[in-house]
Amino acid sequence: MKNFQYVNAPDVEDAVSLLQEPGTKAVAGGTDLLTELKERIKMPEILVNLKTISDMKYIREEKDDLRIGALATLSEIELHRMVRERFPILKEAISVTATPQLRNAATLGGNLCQSVRCWYYRHPDVKCWLKDGDMCYAEDGVNSRHAIFGNSTCIAVHPSDLAPALIALDARIRIAGSEVEGELLLEEFFTLPTETHRQSTLLGAADLVTEVIIPHRFGPSNGVYLKAMERATWSFMLVSAAVQLEWKGDRVREARIVLGGVAGKPWRVREAEAMLQGQTLSEGLAQSVGEAAVANAKALKHNAYKIPLARNLVKRGLLELTRRKA
Amino acid sequence: MARVVKTQVEFEGRFYDEYVVIEGEDLPAWRADEKFSIVGQSQTRIDGVERVTGAAKFTHDIQLPGMLYGKILRSPHPHARIKSIDTKRAERLPGVRAVLHYQNAPKIPWRMGLTLLFDQTLRYAGDEVACVIADDEEICEDALDLIEVNYEVLPFVLDPVKALEPGAPKVHDSGNLFQGAPEIYERGEIEKGFAEADVIVEGTFRTQVALHNCMETHGSVATWEGESLTIWDSTQHIFGVRDTVAQALKLPKHKVRVRKQYMGGGFGSKNSAGKYAVMAALAAKMTGRPVRVVLDRHEENLAAGNRPSSIQTLKVGAKRDGALTAIYHKSIVNLGAYTAWGGGTTGPTRRLYVCPHIKTEDVCVFTNLGPFSAFRAPGYVEGTFALESMIDELAQKLNLDSLELRLRNYAEIDPATGWPYTTKGLRQAYHRGATLIDWQKRTALKEKDSTDTKKIGFGMASQIWGGSGGPPAYALVKINPDGTAVVITGTQDIGTGTKTALAQVAAETLHFPISLVKVELGDTQLGVYSPLSAGSMTLASVGPAVRVAAEDARKQLMDVASQTLEMPLDELEIDRGEFLNTRTRERIAIKTIFEKLQNFMIIGRGARGPNPEKKSVNTFGAQFAQVEVDTETGRVSVQKIVAVHESGRVINPLAISSQLEGGIIQGLGFALTEQRIVDERFGLVLNGNLEMYKVPTAQDVPEIITEMIDMPDPEVNNLGVKGVGEPPIIPTAGAIANAVADALGRRICELPLTPDRILKALESQ
Ligand SMILES: Cc1cc2nc3c(=O)[nH]c(=O)nc-3n(C[C@H](O)[C@H](O)[C@H](O)COP(=O)(O)OP(=O)(O)OC[C@H]3O[C@@H](n4cnc5c(N)ncnc54)[C@H](O)[C@@H]3O)c2cc1C
Ligand code: SF4
Repeated sequence: MKNFQYVNAPDVEDAVSLLQEPGTKAVAGGTDLLTELKERIKMPEILVNLKTISDMKYIREEKDDLRIGALATLSEIELHRMVRERFPILKEAISVTATPQLRNAATLGGNLCQSVRCWYYRHPDVKCWLKDGDMCYAEDGVNSRHAIFGNSTCIAVHPSDLAPALIALDARIRIAGSEVEGELLLEEFFTLPTETHRQSTLLGAADLVTEVIIPHRFGPSNGVYLKAMERATWSFMLVSAAVQLEWKGDRVREARIVLGGVAGKPWRVREAEAMLQGQTLSEGLAQSVGEAAVANAKALKHNAYKIPLARNLVKRGLLELTRRKA
Repeated sequence: MARVVKTQVEFEGRFYDEYVVIEGEDLPAWRADEKFSIVGQSQTRIDGVERVTGAAKFTHDIQLPGMLYGKILRSPHPHARIKSIDTKRAERLPGVRAVLHYQNAPKIPWRMGLTLLFDQTLRYAGDEVACVIADDEEICEDALDLIEVNYEVLPFVLDPVKALEPGAPKVHDSGNLFQGAPEIYERGEIEKGFAEADVIVEGTFRTQVALHNCMETHGSVATWEGESLTIWDSTQHIFGVRDTVAQALKLPKHKVRVRKQYMGGGFGSKNSAGKYAVMAALAAKMTGRPVRVVLDRHEENLAAGNRPSSIQTLKVGAKRDGALTAIYHKSIVNLGAYTAWGGGTTGPTRRLYVCPHIKTEDVCVFTNLGPFSAFRAPGYVEGTFALESMIDELAQKLNLDSLELRLRNYAEIDPATGWPYTTKGLRQAYHRGATLIDWQKRTALKEKDSTDTKKIGFGMASQIWGGSGGPPAYALVKINPDGTAVVITGTQDIGTGTKTALAQVAAETLHFPISLVKVELGDTQLGVYSPLSAGSMTLASVGPAVRVAAEDARKQLMDVASQTLEMPLDELEIDRGEFLNTRTRERIAIKTIFEKLQNFMIIGRGARGPNPEKKSVNTFGAQFAQVEVDTETGRVSVQKIVAVHESGRVINPLAISSQLEGGIIQGLGFALTEQRIVDERFGLVLNGNLEMYKVPTAQDVPEIITEMIDMPDPEVNNLGVKGVGEPPIIPTAGAIANAVADALGRRICELPLTPDRILKALESQ
């Protein structure tokens, strides 16, 4: 680890102004950033500690929505009564995220802003395109954990488990900062990196996530989060599927299907969602929706398995929700 | 009187003749029906409190006044030559005390002379280039960035098959084939055997590189006092480190003291001294201060050794009744850049079954990758997976139960040497294991519990291994004036519970409660030599010496007591740490006799006797696995493992069940999740950390049922024990692979059985 200065931010405004200094980086729980510092992937000169900001750590129930401050820890969210009752999809996503120890420290904001897990990115001796290098090493390298959707020079997948679940709940995100400011759909917050913005979110260097807002749209128990891993726990997804359904009687009124581990951002499959509208769910339909979800997927050299895996998870998720409803 | 004897010692599946000095007389072996009060009882660790409270000092915990830190600069290239190195900028960084490299360090031969401590030629991405010594680790890291190395990048080869092709880049001047030729073994006439076969099965099996990932990474702390060097080293062999460091630094052995009290895992990767130990010693000399050089996780996974990958081709012939007629087994092993020995995988094929015609070929190949080192039952884990998979295929082809097929080829005597076994409990292990997993009912169980997307399967595999231990190993047992006893040996407890088992042996022999027995080990200065803790040999080597020493101490104590107490010897006994007059029933504290004796202290001595001649000492076992394969996600979850092993007498059932469980869990990782991933273009390890290299977690661990066939071996040594450290990892992957094949109705011949492989197999159906 390279030595750095450590500054406590008193409030959001100060944090934003501190972050405008080049070589500055925000830290919340530190569970991701510290590993990058230790591996010398990032070497900021100043760390701005967000945890001293008092009005960013809350979970508030309001009439139309649930508001979660960016500093709320994953454990706090997972244990929150309303999350458990009304947004089981989020609870499920958190319960398969990292480990209990990490969830006690990791924050919502940090989870959404975490760096990719591509092993070239995480390798201390590789300066790949995403680290402002010249080339993507994964393209012709070992890309078994990489994307099957989305065209970008970088083919790393977004690692967050919370993001697909929150997008499936139509969550919005609130940002404070110099480049982006205000509220937008979480779905729009994530971007595929571009030549000039080598990032997986819209955020500029001095922008902060302050809050995530989950509207009370969907009834309870209508969402499921399925995550395929190499081992039983403590693993990033190979592929995950967040499936949220709004029922009307026996029929599906509206559906959200968001895949994780398949693209540089959480990947919503609208064509597949549309197939469900107004339908009753059968095994056959679930299979077709699964197939539609991966219809546009393109395998790289080592990740063809992700296509059937994503298809099967979508199908399983739909059937699981049907089962839970009955 | 000291006797010099020649004895055969087995280590990691290989045999060596050695001359050893045996002092004093060995004791007759404990009888099979001997009555014990401490041996054979489950005993929690005598150092358990230190371990769980954090009082236990590991090498990583050693902090000496004024200690400096060292960090190693490693080659970024898989093959290169250093044209020049400039360390001036690094040396100018405040806090940097020294930079060692090929130009200023002595030329110390390393790895059997294949390289040097600091070599100008670098043979894998991770090979040592320089070592920075500074006030703290952060300064070291900054300094590493400031060292300017001009590399001449050389052509490299990573694939062992390509490495054997003419014109392939040479890893060593002597060529890429280890010792210039494959290691070939033949018995009978292989062609004749296949001609006699009614049925032949063939297959190619691939196993991956597995990394040990010891929780405590490799490392040393070195300090000098005048001309004497002390090294704290995370090692399985304190005397080995002493000898290597003494030789490297041209010191007499007695000037080097090596210490190791507690260790966070070794699994074979800490069998010999690491470069870091010599670097720390050299740097400590240069700077006049203690120096700590400890690898980080990334380095650990590059440079600290691995279980090499293998490509194994097998062909097995049998008669219609299942009698094996021929086995051909060829194994290509990717050693990486350096090795201590061949590392072949065909051992189990030569030794497990009766078969008149066998040919094995181990082709061990150097490539520009991280070096091979022993890893818990090296070669046997990989070889057993391949052989036992093939036996399963054969059973299927013959329409025989695979357990029945194994029993029909059961070796009553050692098929490789023709010698009888001292003991062999494999048949009992098969039967007991089959009962515990309900083997005969497996088809019904499968049908009952499988669904469209969850397929249940059952499989088994057998285990053969050495584990005789042997001389030389010595021990002292002291009886202190306060009536407590101390066992002193030069062995080390690598986390397996050695201290506890030795205390049990001594306490039993002395008739002391175990609470009165202390064990001192892990320090070459204690003076009594013991071998390395590897090859499943520690207890079987050191334990018998401890018993002899304890018996010697007990006899001396009785003699002294009888004279000081003026009681005839035949009326005197030791009972639970006190003297008991058997006539008067009077109990006398042991310390009372010493009170009259001016601090006299009793010292008993013992040595391990030789191994039996022309007998094979082996350990055996069988494991059975029940798995569930999720056909939609490709994930294999192991539901149950039944493990029944035979390793001679059981000294501590609790410790043995931990060894079995640990081996099984490590085997499960090998079967399902663990694999080193390398970028072929750059020779870079991509997953050298614990997040990406997937060892099993607690949630991956199935129900594990372990049992020992407790069968005291009357010939191997005076305790009747054989080793158990390595055996339990041997059959796990084979049993799981067979269960997965059973579940899927088809076999995947490459480990680990990851979701992508399973899904690929299912999609191509
Ligand atoms: C071993 C391991 C396993 C893991 N497994 C999973 C998993 O299975 N699923 C999963 O989803 N995640 C997983 N994670 C990632 C983990 O969830 C994240 O590390 C964590 O959520 C980050 O939160 P933090 O508060 O610690 O962020 P930090 O480490 O403090 O910050 C992470 C990044 O976010 C930025 N940041 C933090 N807060 C804000 C904010 N309010 N506004 C703008 N930028 C901000 C920081 O500058 C930094 O770049 C794992 C992590 C580890 C170490
Ligand atoms: S996928 Fe992205 S992070 Fe990975 S090597 Fe390519 S550019 Fe770098």
